[in-house]
Amino acid sequence: MKKRIFIIIISVCLVLFSLNFSYAVEPEEVLENQKQETRARNISKNIRCMVCQNQSIDESNSPLAKDLRILIRSKIKEGDKDFEIYKFLTDRYGDFILLKPPLKSSTLALWFLPFVFFIIGILIVYSHNRKSKKN
Amino acid sequence: MAASLGYLLLWLSLVFSISQFYFSKNKAKIKLISISVNGLLISTLISFFLLIYVHVISDFSVLNVFQNSHTTKPLIYKIAGVWGNHEGSMLLWILVLTIFNYFLFKLYNKGNCTFVSKTLQIQAFISAGFILFTLLTSNPFERIFPVQTNGLGFNPILQDPALAAHPPLLYIGYVGFSAAFSISIAALTLGNSEKVPWYIYMKSFVLISWTFLSIGIALGAFWAYYELGWGGWWFWDPVENASFMPWLLGTALLHSLLIVEKRKSLQTWVLLLSILAFILSMVGTFLVRSGILTSVHTFALDPSRGIYILAFIALLGGYSLILFGTKSKKYFDNNYFSFLSKEGSILINNILMIVVCFTVFLGTIYPLIVEALTNNKISVGEPYYNSTVVPIMIPAILVMGIGPILSWGKEEKLKVLKKIFPTLVVTAVMTITTFLIYQSYSLIGIVGIILAFWIIANNVTILIKKNKTHALGMVIAHLGIGLLILGITGSSVWQEEKIARMKIGNEIKIEKYNVLFDRIDKIKGPNYLALQGNFLIFNDQKKIITKLKPENRFYPIKNNFTTEASIHTNLLRDLYIVLGDGNINDGWVVRIYYNPLVVWIWIGSIVIFIGGIVSMKKNINKIKIL
Amino acid sequence: MKKKLLIIPFILFLSVLFTLFYLLIIDRNPSKLPSNLLDKKVPNFETKSLFKNENFISSNEFGNEIILVNFFATWCKPCRNEHVYIKRFSEEKGIRVVGINYKDDTNNTIEWLKNLGNPYSDIPIDKNGNIAIDWGVYGIPETFIVNSNSIIKYRHVGPITKEMYKKINSLIEAME
Repeated sequence: MKKRIFIIIISVCLVLFSLNFSYAVEPEEVLENQKQETRARNISKNIRCMVCQNQSIDESNSPLAKDLRILIRSKIKEGDKDFEIYKFLTDRYGDFILLKPPLKSSTLALWFLPFVFFIIGILIVYSHNRKSKKN
Repeated sequence: MAASLGYLLLWLSLVFSISQFYFSKNKAKIKLISISVNGLLISTLISFFLLIYVHVISDFSVLNVFQNSHTTKPLIYKIAGVWGNHEGSMLLWILVLTIFNYFLFKLYNKGNCTFVSKTLQIQAFISAGFILFTLLTSNPFERIFPVQTNGLGFNPILQDPALAAHPPLLYIGYVGFSAAFSISIAALTLGNSEKVPWYIYMKSFVLISWTFLSIGIALGAFWAYYELGWGGWWFWDPVENASFMPWLLGTALLHSLLIVEKRKSLQTWVLLLSILAFILSMVGTFLVRSGILTSVHTFALDPSRGIYILAFIALLGGYSLILFGTKSKKYFDNNYFSFLSKEGSILINNILMIVVCFTVFLGTIYPLIVEALTNNKISVGEPYYNSTVVPIMIPAILVMGIGPILSWGKEEKLKVLKKIFPTLVVTAVMTITTFLIYQSYSLIGIVGIILAFWIIANNVTILIKKNKTHALGMVIAHLGIGLLILGITGSSVWQEEKIARMKIGNEIKIEKYNVLFDRIDKIKGPNYLALQGNFLIFNDQKKIITKLKPENRFYPIKNNFTTEASIHTNLLRDLYIVLGDGNINDGWVVRIYYNPLVVWIWIGSIVIFIGGIVSMKKNINKIKIL
Repeated sequence: MKKKLLIIPFILFLSVLFTLFYLLIIDRNPSKLPSNLLDKKVPNFETKSLFKNENFISSNEFGNEIILVNFFATWCKPCRNEHVYIKRFSEEKGIRVVGINYKDDTNNTIEWLKNLGNPYSDIPIDKNGNIAIDWGVYGIPETFIVNSNSIIKYRHVGPITKEMYKKINSLIEAME
């Protein structure tokens, strides 16, 4: 029973934590160079907020999200390329931090099955249709 | 007392569901079946009302009330709080099951008695399973001693009218597919020896489910948009996906049922789809309640509940799929479909809906599969779905424009071109006009706008011509989708955001508007204190359009903060302001969003709902004649 | 032929169910993330050390013995709750514990340790949180076991509980 209450309180806290935001990027974080800022926003939208539910660090107001946003911007200013910044983050947090799953052997099925399925669907209908036409 | 009675009545419901299962084996026992159906409905209904009652009177000896309620909650939210938690929502789920059970019973007549009895037997089994689950693992009437003086309160963010209505509407959707499932099992088991128009019965239930699922999902998105603070309304959260998948299958099912009606074809496919739709509804329930993943939507619970639900899914799913594998042959047909025909376009719609559903399912469970196999965790987020679902939806929308105007059987290409030429012109004109207004070009924006106006033009044309050959409900629903796409495209592609630190008296420009930070007020609400910012919005002619008042609220009881965005809406755009952190000396963080065409998402959703209701009415009239 | 084809979706259905069932019965926490640094070398860092004049240089300190690294802060309630176990690691088990002070005020930390006791052999200061990011920390307190070859062997997210205390002790004993 106590465990249940504990779990419920934790979940409520998690809910609160994740819903209680509206401050994402703050004005002081914004880079002056518009191109760099756009790059930073795009990268941030692909980085998962580790303490939220299914949000990117671009949307979250958690302190860790803010730190990562600032880190990404400083790396952009230093001249790092996008893939270098992603590698920096995945080296430390794993692939979990990427909202767009990377294309790897473990995610081949994820990326290709939808289109494979689509083609299978068309083939099934087409072959069934052809058989029916013959009858 | 009320709680004990409620608990007892829930056991009584279980008894009635078992008796319904037993008596419906023999179709002659109509009186006993009737007693079971009505008894099941009434005892569940009273049990549910008793749960509402203990919430309303704040009986904190009931654990469910203690965990989810508080004396300061407004009455409406005390009631809505009943289904805002796991145990209470299970009771709601069961209630909707028994209501659909009742309507299945209403179909009963001399001609279809075997068929409907069989359907009721399946429905009884499903009901018994869920009632047993609730009684054994999730009793809403469980007591707690010693009795506390007040409850754990409830998240103030969830005290919202849209969110209160969200679960009941969704559940009508999810649970309604149980009726379609039961009809499918009955059809497979009995082989339609009675020549019962089961597909017409199924269509009514699918229509009801689909219509309410649509508006339930839309309501959830609407709430997210105005409550969460940055103009987002869909996040591909696993539980959101769990509501989208049955919707996709329901859409495919609705369209295929048309073909079954008109050409007695595709019956095996429809039988399979209805099984899959309900299985996915149950998988949705599983994801929310098992604790297998965390999400803003989940009730965080222990895995033992998950195991029960999973076992039940395995039982129902396994049984139905094996039954389908062995018995569906009787419904098999060898009809030929020309692709340039109404059947052809419905077929394409079905393929695409299934592929999208499969993709969403894959994306949702893939992290779980990777974790089980490699002990690594990956995320599958919005970028994945944008790359996969969106490209597949595009041809589906294109087909949706042509499909309704094609005739059954093969159509000549020239004739088709003649039919669509006027709407093509209108589409081109509206597209160009839109881009003249918004001035910002992107591939996905162009595609979205063309698709939206293509659908809108086609269906408005049909409405104007008052063409009786087209089902009114379908035209309205399709029009709604067109409006929905218009809103989705506009708000996704052309959103503008301005973030600034503003002191009182500062002004900032967004699009053609000037936003002046007028002052900060301290205000008091029923259960909160707030800092309210006052912003004056001027248009390019220096006239005041509106005053926006975003708030930062503090709820002392829950000891937490929320922000309330302030929104000004018109048909062309939303202006959306959020107040962040700050103080009088340094100023405040202010976020301003310009969201074009957002309102069309909500208008489109309502139009879809109306289309569904119109179709439902027509379909129910058809059944009355049967 | 059709029947054989129908078996494929059924098998898929069963495999998905088994996977979900498996995930339910194993001991897992859906909100906890495994560390990406396991079996990798400790990140290099150099920073000021509380109570010492010289900087803390990681390459000097790791690689000689088993070390527990504990990310903590005075403003973090669970850190306060677990502190008794951190002390037990140091005092009762004689394990060297390095406490990385995360985004904190040094005066507060000195006061905090004065009141609760100081189990740490060193207290590197992570003022801006970048060291924590290098360690893949996302929710303090977090505790790492680093073996005598500077390899990170284990990470626990959240406060040390009684069960965790036992587990970490047995893991360390196994390493020795």
